[in-house]
Amino acid sequence: MAESKSLIKIKPNSYKSGDIVKVSFMVMHPMETGLRKDKKTGETIPEEYINSVKFEYNGKVITTMNVWETLSVNPVFTINMKVDGAGELKVTYTDNTGKVEETTEKIKPKG
Amino acid sequence: MQRRDFLKSLGVGAASAVVIPSMSFAAEAPKPRGKNALAYNDALGVATGGKKAEVSAKVKLKVPEIAENGAVVPVTVEVEHPMSESDYVKAIHVYATKNANSRCIGVHLSPANGEAMFATRIKLGETQEVVAVAELSNGTFLMASQSVKVTIGGCG
Amino acid sequence: MRKIAKIALCFTLFASLSYASEQFAMSDADRAMYEELLENNPADMMLASGGNLLEELGGDAAVAKFLGVKEDALAAYLAGFPRYLEKFGRVVSIDQMLQGMMHESGKKPYALKSNEMFNMSSYVKSLANEQPINIDINANEHMKKAYAFGKEVFDTKRGARGLSCYSCHNPSVIGTILRTQPLPDISAKGNASAATWPAYRMTKSNLATLQKRFQGCMENALLAVIPLGSPEMTALEVYFTHEAKGATIALPGLKR
Repeated sequence: MAESKSLIKIKPNSYKSGDIVKVSFMVMHPMETGLRKDKKTGETIPEEYINSVKFEYNGKVITTMNVWETLSVNPVFTINMKVDGAGELKVTYTDNTGKVEETTEKIKPKG
Repeated sequence: MQRRDFLKSLGVGAASAVVIPSMSFAAEAPKPRGKNALAYNDALGVATGGKKAEVSAKVKLKVPEIAENGAVVPVTVEVEHPMSESDYVKAIHVYATKNANSRCIGVHLSPANGEAMFATRIKLGETQEVVAVAELSNGTFLMASQSVKVTIGGCG
Repeated sequence: MRKIAKIALCFTLFASLSYASEQFAMSDADRAMYEELLENNPADMMLASGGNLLEELGGDAAVAKFLGVKEDALAAYLAGFPRYLEKFGRVVSIDQMLQGMMHESGKKPYALKSNEMFNMSSYVKSLANEQPINIDINANEHMKKAYAFGKEVFDTKRGARGLSCYSCHNPSVIGTILRTQPLPDISAKGNASAATWPAYRMTKSNLATLQKRFQGCMENALLAVIPLGSPEMTALEVYFTHEAKGATIALPGLKR
């Protein structure tokens, strides 16, 4: 994949400090199991799957995940998070091929 | 498998292929296994360190009864338990009991999550039980399971 | 003995087939769970990527300029596609309109079946989100003809099974379960299919346009597949879109 895309969504759109919000991290990733065959060449498509995801809020790790190839293609990870002041949420993922990517989203509580 | 059981196990999914020999062949073909293949009981043992996971209504596992597509099966787990500094849900593990690699994900939470909830989408190769295991900070394990029927697709 | 077993098996299978709709219809709770997936539609990322591609061509403003409409009128204008455009001398869908725009600005147009084009045309169509579909099949002779031709394509029985689009999309079979999925009502009264495509296909893990979906249907129903952007395909999109006229556009959709 030439360009990997990811997205962080926070629900609801408007929140205050102390609220618990839903955070979803979406990423375009093939999540190849290593079991599929290329229909044209007949060759096995090698494993390529996300193996870890880390959520950091203002520098503090709040959630980590061990991920397996059994998640759907273009996976989505949703957790809750207690809003504790303005700042930044950083999500980093790694995959089994050694790729490391991070995405950030501003946390802007209203009041 | 007994012949009778085999007949019973045939879902509508297999109905389009009424040719018996090919069906029995399909049923006997070994399942492909990847490098990460690990049976559910073994995987559970690794996560709990051999401790018993008690079935608990506190673990709310939401999966569809019938998956409209095995490639994208929504899973939501909520654990009714405090998320305080001294007493919280440390981890949520999700297993697909009949996938070659039964492990889907292990989510390590902290009190900063506010509530113990996790949602994702998993692949299911066939009809099976999906299991959610919650690990509490005091070292106990709670679990819930639900069967998901995987059908074959309609129009593409 | 073996033969008897075979006959018995066939009988069992037929019996289970006739009850298939009852056994495999999805429960309301399940359906609600799948609808919730829309909150986090992977296609959102693809549309964002399509938006970036359009930026390279001058963004939304460039589309408005190419179409000769004011920027604040663009959304409603896009809600009327496919349209007859004089520049093209024929009825075109949004993807072909974008090809023309790329060509005019000296860029090599993306192929209709490329991911770049799916992403970009879906992004452009999503600019019409929250607008009602306002296709006007009486706008001119070209649109009138396209609609009539589209209806013909829709109704024509083809292929090994002698099926037409109408076979599975007519008032008498709407809602019938075809392996867990109710056959959709394509009209604005129902779930207004045309207003929810392009959509993310969960079985394919990709974004597909309405025309691409038509191709999938044709392939599975054993009809010769009509090329994207051909007069037949565009006409079919005109017919399908007109059936859903008035429905609110909500893109990208999320489909099995």
